[in-house]
Amino acid sequence: MADVAPGREPEELSDELRRRALRLFGRSLHIRTVDTGSCAVCESEIRLLAAPHYDLHRLGFFFTPAPRHADVLMVTGPAVRAAENLLRKAYHATPDPKAVIAVGACALGGVYPEDELIHGAIDRVVPVDVVVPGCPPSPLALLQGLLVAVGRLEERVCALSLDLDAGSAK
Amino acid sequence: MTHAIGALAVGACAAWLAAAILGLAATRRLGLVGSAVLSGIGGGGAATCGVLLAVHGAGPTLALGSATVGGAKFHLAPLAAPFIALLGLVAGAIAFYAPRYHKPARGTALYLVVYNLALLASLAVLIAANVVAFLVAWETMALLCYLLILRHHDRPGVASGAFLFIALSEVGFVLIVLAFAILAAQTGTLDLVTIAARASRVHAGWRSAAFLLALFGFAFKAGLVPFHIWLPAAHPVAPADGSAFLSGLIIKLGVYGIALFGFTLLPGGPAWWGVLTMGFGAISAVLGILYALMERDLKRFLAYSSIENIGIIVTALGAGMTFTAYGQRAIGAFLLIVALYHTVNHGTYKTLLFLEAGVIEHATGTRDLDRLGGLIRRLPRTAVISLIGTVAIAALPPLNGFVSEWLLFQGLFQGFRISSHLVGILIVIAGAVIALTGGLAINAFVRSYGIPFLGMPRSGQAASAREAREPVAGPALLAGACVFLGIGAPLVLTALDRVARVTAGIYIQSKLIVPQLGVIPAHTQFSEFSPTYLAAFLVAISAVPILIFLAGKPLARNRRVPAWDGGIVSFRPRMQYTATTHANPVRVTFEPLYRPSIHVERASDDPAGRSGPVHYRFQVTPIFELYLYRPVIRLVQKLADLVRPIQSGDVNLYLFYVFVVVVIAYAVYPL
Amino acid sequence: MAFWFYRGLRRGIATTRYPKSIDPWARALPSAPAFHSARLTTQIADRLAQACPAGALAREDRELVVDLGRCTACGRCLDVADGVVEPSGEFLLATGVRAALFKRVPIRGDDGMRSG
Repeated sequence: MADVAPGREPEELSDELRRRALRLFGRSLHIRTVDTGSCAVCESEIRLLAAPHYDLHRLGFFFTPAPRHADVLMVTGPAVRAAENLLRKAYHATPDPKAVIAVGACALGGVYPEDELIHGAIDRVVPVDVVVPGCPPSPLALLQGLLVAVGRLEERVCALSLDLDAGSAK
Repeated sequence: MTHAIGALAVGACAAWLAAAILGLAATRRLGLVGSAVLSGIGGGGAATCGVLLAVHGAGPTLALGSATVGGAKFHLAPLAAPFIALLGLVAGAIAFYAPRYHKPARGTALYLVVYNLALLASLAVLIAANVVAFLVAWETMALLCYLLILRHHDRPGVASGAFLFIALSEVGFVLIVLAFAILAAQTGTLDLVTIAARASRVHAGWRSAAFLLALFGFAFKAGLVPFHIWLPAAHPVAPADGSAFLSGLIIKLGVYGIALFGFTLLPGGPAWWGVLTMGFGAISAVLGILYALMERDLKRFLAYSSIENIGIIVTALGAGMTFTAYGQRAIGAFLLIVALYHTVNHGTYKTLLFLEAGVIEHATGTRDLDRLGGLIRRLPRTAVISLIGTVAIAALPPLNGFVSEWLLFQGLFQGFRISSHLVGILIVIAGAVIALTGGLAINAFVRSYGIPFLGMPRSGQAASAREAREPVAGPALLAGACVFLGIGAPLVLTALDRVARVTAGIYIQSKLIVPQLGVIPAHTQFSEFSPTYLAAFLVAISAVPILIFLAGKPLARNRRVPAWDGGIVSFRPRMQYTATTHANPVRVTFEPLYRPSIHVERASDDPAGRSGPVHYRFQVTPIFELYLYRPVIRLVQKLADLVRPIQSGDVNLYLFYVFVVVVIAYAVYPL
Repeated sequence: MAFWFYRGLRRGIATTRYPKSIDPWARALPSAPAFHSARLTTQIADRLAQACPAGALAREDRELVVDLGRCTACGRCLDVADGVVEPSGEFLLATGVRAALFKRVPIRGDDGMRSG
């Protein structure tokens, strides 16, 4: 699901993700975080989600320590090779249906290149369903990521344009 | 019937005597097996005799020689019936166990002679009806047990353990002799039945003195705190079936002695006797289990657990005496029944656990809990049988330990029926202490079963254990007995009720067993429960998930996946709990009791410990040895030093002594 | 009654109302860059690509490819080409399609110069 299938628009795929996720996960989601060698700032932001200001419990999300009880794996870090075993084991221990959310710039291939110690991006180890960019992503961005993963929010980035002069035609 | 009982008793004695003689031939395999077979036959006879005696309610009397000093009289009294039955059961189980545990050798031959004679002496203690017979049998039993412990006398700790056993046994014996001497002198007879008849006419002060001496004297043998220090020293160093015999039976002889004095010889004593006994028992129970939790050695752990259970039994006896003294004779008899029932139960499962500890030691070469692990795969039959024994001793339903402890609580919680509020509160406090003991016991036995049997082996010795030639039949017999004693409790309690009827003079059948196999604690409105139906219910209700699983099996696809292990590379045995760490919460909570001495040695001051291992040594302070025994021993030594000049070795001084004595004799003679 | 109870009642509920509305202070959060394509020249684009420490900017022919996934909002591109790059204010960038995070900005600054 990470690659764009030939002939299908990103918007179409995101709609499909949304419907599938909504059907499967309904209104309650259990999240298990996996750290594959991050600087732990993404972890701090994730931890803040449980704090009263952001309060993910009101949206029906819960943290669980056991991958066996999890619906979603929230993975941070640049997939350090020493943690590859851990990530794969956590992935296989999570029962289907599951989704993997890659959180942070490190997890998406930024900051650290691939070398003999680091894979560089999570999707080189396990298939990734939703990505949440940022360094670190604000808890609001994390909440958006979770809501996109369960299909309760539309994603905004497909329609986003970074060209400020796009309106003025040449 | 009486003749049959007598014949069975005599037959058991004969069989054991023959087993002892045949034991001399145990340097060969045939002699070993033959001796064991005879020992087992004797055990069967004794067990049957005990059961019949309990059911029938009266036994024969046998007199040898004259009734005065030099004569012995034996009488099978119903109070001894549960003990005789237990003796038979223990002997039978050990008879199955011995041929596979011992190797034919000269040491084994001597050991078997001593062991079978010890069985004989124990039976003699239980059926002695004469002060002389009792004391001779008692001392013989003690000396034979001392020799029993010394089987491997060249191993470390054996000699000192055996010495502690005999030394404290002798101290207790002195007190017992004094107790009997007081009673015999005051009633003018050496016959126990006659003493019981005349005891009510003895002056109250003498009666109290006799009871106290007997209580403390038998407490040495029973292993009540603070007279218990020989138990953890002697039990681990004896061979496994010797430890089983000691813990399963010999300490029960101390209980028999207390019951004998409290209910037969000096019945109707004042309430403070009962309260004192109960306090003794409660303190022993809780201290026993607390010290047990700190033990790494499996057999020392079981020894402390024996102290705990003896405490429970003696609490029941004491509470029974207290209730009787306040006129609540039905509850008093009920608690006597509970005490006897728990005696039989504990004898059964403690023997089982000691025998299995012997199997573990045999198979792995170590008794250290922190070196064992994963034995459930390597010793499967042992694991199952040990599980039954552990569930029984932890007092979990539906087995016998649960029934007897439940009934004990039912009896103790009726303390409100006593007119004296203070005593009533004390009884309920004893109940609370026993409840604490029960909780700690569950913790302790989860530890003692889980650490050796479950998980991964913590050492190569444990990993290489094999069950090939280990004894199974003996422990299996005891496991079956545990199950029967639990589920068939109404039957057993009916038999014990007949015992109590003769002993305490009150018949509570109608207040004990109700038609639907229920048991009530002497008052119908208080509570009722049926161990038989409880067992059936538990079996039925555990069948439900099993049936669901079996029904759903064809529908579900099975997928084998690795267990989630936290993502680590692999499990290593060192990651597991050890016995020491499992008991840590108790260790920390009860630190003022343990007063531990803790030594920590580091290779350097690096707080992360990077430069070498850290040695942590934790030692429980033996407060009884330090604050009770050492001062007494020092006092005795001081007195001995004072007296020593008398024996100076100077012949002239000795002649002077002779001269002085002759002069005194001449002076006193005319008077 | 505890002091915090009164204080809480006075200040109201502190939990964010997201996803119903976004908090006003979120406008100041670090965000991905946005570009004035009219002022973006090939030279500037190359300088930006070199300056980005996370490798989020690359020039592909006549387009600047911005990988929003790799951007850490460090702000170095803002320092390098002040006036061309501005913070976009977009930080809600989650998506199920990784490819959707690759944004292409046409380089039109050259044209302006050429025509001028």
